[in-house]
Parts: sequence; C-alpha cells; structure tokens
Amino acid sequence: MQRRNSLLSLIFAAFLFGVSPAAMAGHLEPFKLVPVSDVNPQTPDKIELGKKLFFDRRLSGDGTMSCATCHIPDLAFTDGQEISFSYPTTKNWRNAPTLINVAFFRNLFHDGRVTSLEDQALFPVMSSFEMNLNLDYLEEKLRVVPEYVEAFGKIFGGAITRERVAMAIASFERTLVSVNAPIDRYLKGDKSALSADAIKGYEIFTGKGKCIECHYGVNLSDDKFHALNIQENPDHQKDPKITATRRFVAKVYHYEDYANLSEDPGRYLITKDIKDWKAFRTPTLREVAKTAPYMHNGILATLDEVIDFFDRGGGQGNTAIKPINLNTEEKKYLKVFLVEALSGEDLKLTYPVIP
Amino acid sequence: MKEYGQKVRLVIKFYPYKYRDFARISAGAALAAYDQGKFWEMHRLLLKRSPKLDQTNLIKYAKEIGLDADKFRESLDTRKNDGIIERDVKLALSLDLYNTPTFFINGRRVIGDVPYEYLKKIVVEELNAAKK
Repeated sequence: MQRRNSLLSLIFAAFLFGVSPAAMAGHLEPFKLVPVSDVNPQTPDKIELGKKLFFDRRLSGDGTMSCATCHIPDLAFTDGQEISFSYPTTKNWRNAPTLINVAFFRNLFHDGRVTSLEDQALFPVMSSFEMNLNLDYLEEKLRVVPEYVEAFGKIFGGAITRERVAMAIASFERTLVSVNAPIDRYLKGDKSALSADAIKGYEIFTGKGKCIECHYGVNLSDDKFHALNIQENPDHQKDPKITATRRFVAKVYHYEDYANLSEDPGRYLITKDIKDWKAFRTPTLREVAKTAPYMHNGILATLDEVIDFFDRGGGQGNTAIKPINLNTEEKKYLKVFLVEALSGEDLKLTYPVIP
Repeated sequence: MKEYGQKVRLVIKFYPYKYRDFARISAGAALAAYDQGKFWEMHRLLLKRSPKLDQTNLIKYAKEIGLDADKFRESLDTRKNDGIIERDVKLALSLDLYNTPTFFINGRRVIGDVPYEYLKKIVVEELNAAKK
C-alpha cells in the first residue's frame, strides 16, 4: 500500500512536457516524476477505469484480446514473442514494446507515428492485425455496460467516447513505471547498490561501450530514431500473413511500391525521409532483462546476442554505429549491469474485476 | 505429451469466457464426454467446430464421436458438472487470471496462445531443473 501511495504521489506531481532529452545526453539519471499531459490529469478513478479497459477483451473485434494480451504484466508488459500476438487469422510484423516507463516517451511505437499516449491507445484497438475493433462499435459495446456508463459519467462528466477511452487507458499506462532499481540508488549516491561486476559494466556502458550515446537520461533512451540495419528475419519475410501485414501498413502510409515491399522500412514510412530508412526508436533499457526477444522484430533472442550485435558495429552497411571490440569479460560485465542495475521493484498490480 | 511421455503431466482447468455465448456449455460438453471416456475427442472437436457450439450442434458432435447421446444430453440439461466448472473458475479468479489459455509449468506462468517452441523451452528448463 505504501508503494502504491508513493507511486500515486509521483503521478500527481505532474510536470509538463518541456525538458529536452538532448539536455540530458551523456548521463544516466535516477527515476523522477512521470510526465503527465496537462489535458488529461491523473486521478485514481481514471487510472482504475483505464486499468479495467486495458484488461477488457471487449476491446477487440472477436472479444479474445485485450491490451494485456500483448502487454503481459509478468513480462514487463511485453509478450515474450518475436512478433507480437495477432488478431486471429492474421499476423503482426513487429515486436510488442514494453510499456514500462512509456510515459517518458514522446515518440510512440517503434516508428514514432504518434506523440501522445492518448493518440496511441486506440491504434492497436482498430488495427486489423491487432485487436481489430471498429471504434464506432467500441463505443456502443461499452455503452451497454452500466458500470462503464456510470464510471465515465463520474470521471469525465459525460458519455463514453473513444477519446475518453483513450484518456483512461493512457492514465493507467502512465502508472507503469520501473522504480527504485539499483541504478537509481547508485546514482543517488548509494555506492553499495551495485555489485563490483555491475559497476564495471556501468563503466563500459558509459565509456568504451558508448551505449550512453543513445541510452541516457531517466529512461535510458534518447527517444530518437536510428538506422542500425537490424537484419530481417527470413522466415518473416517469407510468411504470407506477415507479408500481407507489411504491405498493408505500407499502403496505409502511402508507400508507393508497397506491393513489392519485403522488409520493414521503419521510421521512413512515417517521414518519407531516406535517412529514416529502417530507423527505429531507441527503446528504454529499464527492465530490459524481462523484455526478450529484442529489437523491433525480435530477431535477437538474448541480451548476449544484443551485446554481440552492437559490439560488431550493428547491422550490415549501417553508418550509425561502429564496432566496439569488447572482450569476453567486458561483455560479461555489461550484461551484469543491464540485468542487475536496471531491474526495479516488482510492480504490484491489483488485477481489475471486469464489469 | 507425445514428446515427453511420463515426464510431464497435463492438468486442464476450465475458465469459460463470460462474454462467449457457448463457452460454459462447451465446458459442460467436454466434461460430459470425459464421463464417457472421450474428453480429448470432444476437446479437439470443440476447437475445430468453434463457434458452432450451441446445444444442438454439441449433441451432433457427441454422436459423431460415438457417445451415448441421451446420457450426454442429460448431463448438459441437468448441468451435472457445473460444480467442477465453478470450482475451476474460482481458482482462476483467485490467481488473477485474465486470459485463456494460461499455462502453469511447474508454477511458471505463461499467458496466451504461445507457440509450441516457447512452451517447449520452458518444459525443458523445468525438466533439467528437476534433475538437479
């Protein structure tokens, strides 16, 4: 209960978007206040409503999937699969990103197609290969549930609308944070918070390994996009259902040659800027031990594989990073740091009773 | 089960989804088939024929796999195995389960319709741990 109260007080101590992540470049920072939208203030009732909606399978077309299908609390709100779970008979094409500390991001999804959690929340609901629910129908499905009608009336002073559904879910998502990790205590001055090996790993992270260049600040992410030329998964490229999804998304984003697309263009689909070809947003590294498999397509199964990928200078032909040449010991320390230092307290979630 | 034989044991619990019209009666059908020694035959048929799982169709399926249709119907009509289903639902709720299927492999919770290889990896890890 104490932790719940302290979390809520963190949430209420809102500050507005305005701090540039660039200002924090080069440093890790301990956990601090969660950014909250000034147009969607946090309240306990709204968070609770958002939690119910997050776990409610009514939010999918055939009633089998909720947000929690792909964002499983036990797995730091990922689903443990290379590519995320999909609406029955379809296949997704990207890995489910963690929702831990998602409130700290301004660019959401791997390609940054939206910039607020309120705008993000309904995308998977209406996506044909995710939850596949028409949003007009979503509103009507919820409006026949008396408990929801009452809750929306009390919280928003009005009817159930898609926008308010998104606001409630966003409020709940802002409570999904990784707190009191050893790195937080270490950065606040408790030098005993990290083991000797983890401290060596920290030094590699911030020094020779150059991880800090993109993974900095509270959230260990620059919230920017980088083209590391992560390899495609040949099985995914051949899979007809994934191919259909890839082409569908490309078509929606007006990519001219969508019918022949055999790889994931990443951020390019959104900006049409060639520098963004195969660029993806830097993920948070908070709770990274729980979020395998890694990268936007889940191609790297373990942290060892991730470290090796960066150590050899990323994917073929990329110009974003160069080989690092860590030795075996250094790689070991780096992994100890990632696992030990960045794993916070268990988020004690009270599961909601769905009306 | 084929791969690991006696080394693993599968226990099924029922958690009929309350928004599905025929989830509850289908659980009853599986248990009625169990009473006649043909649980797996019915289980497979239920998955194959979903969503056509109303009572008329269930009785048809019972005949198809050679069950005594009168006994099967009686079991559904009298809700003979409701106690078992209720017990399982209570268990699921007490474990905060929100999704079907959910697996527990030696206590490790795996949520969702995960690929076989994902389950196999955990089974292998648990078998190895049990050897130590």
